[in-house]
Amino acid sequence: MSNMMSVLFASDNESKLNELTIHRTTASLPFCGRYRLIDFILSNLVNSGVTTIGIIARSNYNSLMDHIRMGRDWGLNRKNGGLAVFPPYVMNTSRDMYKSKIEAIYSINDYIKKAKEDYILITNGNVAYNFNFAGLYDAHIAQKADITMLTYKSATTARRILPVIGKNGRVSEIVFSNSQSNSPADVAMNVYLMHKNLLLELVESAFNRGQLDFEKDILMSKIDELKIYAYNVGGFVAIIDDIKSYYYESMKLLQKSTRDMLFDSYGSIYTKVKDSVPTLYEDKAEVKNSLIADGCNINGYVENSILFRGVKIEEGARVINSIIMENGHIMHNTNMSYVITDKNVKIKENRNISGFETYPIVIVKDKTV
Amino acid sequence: MKQKKECIAMLLAGGQGTRLGVLTSQVAKPAVPFGGKYRIIDFTLSNTINSNIDTIGVLTQYQPFELNTYIGNGQPWDLDRLDGGVFVLPPFMKATSGEWYKGTANAIYQNIAFIDKYDPEYVLILSGDHIYKMDYSLMLDSHKKNKADCTIAVFEVPIEQASRFGIMNTDESGRICAFEEKPKKPKSNKASMGIYIFSWQKLRTYLIADEADKSSQNDFGKNIIPCMLKNGEAMYAYSFNGYWKDVGTISSLWEANMDLLDEESGINLNDTTWKIYARNSAEPPHYLGLNAVIKNSSISEGCEIDGLLKNSILSQSCTVGRDAVIENSIIMPGAVIEEDAVIKYAIVGSSARICKGARVGEDLAAPNEKGEWDIALIGPDTVIKSGSTIKKGEML
Repeated sequence: MSNMMSVLFASDNESKLNELTIHRTTASLPFCGRYRLIDFILSNLVNSGVTTIGIIARSNYNSLMDHIRMGRDWGLNRKNGGLAVFPPYVMNTSRDMYKSKIEAIYSINDYIKKAKEDYILITNGNVAYNFNFAGLYDAHIAQKADITMLTYKSATTARRILPVIGKNGRVSEIVFSNSQSNSPADVAMNVYLMHKNLLLELVESAFNRGQLDFEKDILMSKIDELKIYAYNVGGFVAIIDDIKSYYYESMKLLQKSTRDMLFDSYGSIYTKVKDSVPTLYEDKAEVKNSLIADGCNINGYVENSILFRGVKIEEGARVINSIIMENGHIMHNTNMSYVITDKNVKIKENRNISGFETYPIVIVKDKTV
Repeated sequence: MKQKKECIAMLLAGGQGTRLGVLTSQVAKPAVPFGGKYRIIDFTLSNTINSNIDTIGVLTQYQPFELNTYIGNGQPWDLDRLDGGVFVLPPFMKATSGEWYKGTANAIYQNIAFIDKYDPEYVLILSGDHIYKMDYSLMLDSHKKNKADCTIAVFEVPIEQASRFGIMNTDESGRICAFEEKPKKPKSNKASMGIYIFSWQKLRTYLIADEADKSSQNDFGKNIIPCMLKNGEAMYAYSFNGYWKDVGTISSLWEANMDLLDEESGINLNDTTWKIYARNSAEPPHYLGLNAVIKNSSISEGCEIDGLLKNSILSQSCTVGRDAVIENSIIMPGAVIEEDAVIKYAIVGSSARICKGARVGEDLAAPNEKGEWDIALIGPDTVIKSGSTIKKGEML
């Protein structure tokens, strides 16, 4: 069993997912037909032997609780360790809802101290990737690092944290990129490994000074004092923080090479089991280049699209370049292109809805059009 | 102290299932894949928990490893319970002797101590090789209402087929007056489904007497039921009207799978009030490529398809290459159908590989003179090389 525990941030303050996160945290955002974003990090942790996981949920965490239950579907219903969920307001010392990572970690320091593991991984629920943390741990120990941060090579760097990495992997500087720059670079994933005593020390000292920002007030200000290393994650990494990135990263999954990286590299990705039946295709079904989850009933035309569990496409409907979430119902002779429909959306007969590649139209949960 | 249970279920899952040929050469019949994402036993297990019976003994004997692993702690069926749940009961050694289960009745006899532990009023005896959705609690109500010692579920079959079944002759009240095993001239069309409810103390007495009788075959149908009838015990038939199919042969297994594609057949799995549960494999959604053509078919998670699929069932994690043709067939989990392969009226076993251009099965217009479909069968893990042809009804 691993000597790492994890604190997992389910909500991201930076989220610009608007309509899609009205009803849920970013971590419980549906992704790739049958998953929620949090499934990837939970599965990675479990596949790496990390089984003491504290989830920090900030707002709208109902859907998250419903999804993870007590962690049974990830084998996390344990006597030792397992899942702990920390909703806002129930923390040891804070009277107010926590405002930052530093406050949140400070308020659960008892939980962190009591865990039997010595090292802690700070993770978040808005990144889809397939990774084994054992390699990160080995590198961290070998380099005698204070903090090791996960990075990946990204084609776009807008609104990301960019570490400046030396030849030996040591981070010499951390820069925020606010511009709309599109040059490829090493981008931080906001995932950190360190000894838990160091974390508690850093967090307590920052908290006492009223500092709020983990990256700015701790990492950047102590960049010379601490040995901070970067560890590059290969393969497919998708950070989801706005509608555009959600759509763009989802559509990449229509390529087999992307699916292989996300589902077939280190371990299986687990999700809540729903016991849906296999998908049924009727006589008028015509489907090209699409990902289809279980429990659908298809009798229309579907192309370059992702259908979640329990979607119904009626005869004559044409769904192109779209993402239809769970239990969506697209009725006769409706045309859709570049549309994302949230759960339980019904599009009635003869509708024409069309967005654009860079601006897909989002239809909010439970709506009928 | 165990809590007393009103009714517990004993599921007979030890049959060898020889008529399923290569499909059961490595696994017990109840563990044979069905309907894309299920195993045959999922139906009985799901029926039991959906009927609010939460204690099940599964009697295994033949090739039990995969079945035991599949059942595990019973979690997929909500059968991981503090009190009760699912128990796999293989034959075991006793202090003085040990033996295999000699027959269905002997299997229960050898587990009297297990049943006694729950001190049940009633015991439901089930078999793990039928496809159906049935509320056993209604059958139990009928058993109680009739103050019966034994209630046998019956299914009305066409009278011309009745001579293939164990037939119950009943009076107007539903009380069984005679039982005939495969009668030449059937007097009724009420076929036994192999589902029994017994009042436990009554059955217990008969099991002990049956074990003492050295001439007995220790079988419910051949010994216990006829003996109880002879002694005038209160035995009633309970008519079941829904979909029910014994999947003991390749032809019937194929037919039952095909029934899933036929709305009229009556086996609707998409019923949220009576879900059929299965152990889940963690697979992504299936992917249909640019050349995929799918008509009247069912596809499970983890498949990658670029060929033609018509009237077929594709189980989890199968791959279908470009321009492959699959019609009226069942492809079991993990099978690979390479490009240009043609599969018609066939069952392809788990993880089998049909290489490029191979042909399996032929178009069939109707069942043969025995009333069976000549389905071509490719066993699990079998490789069919490029250019080979497997004829109708052949098994490999």
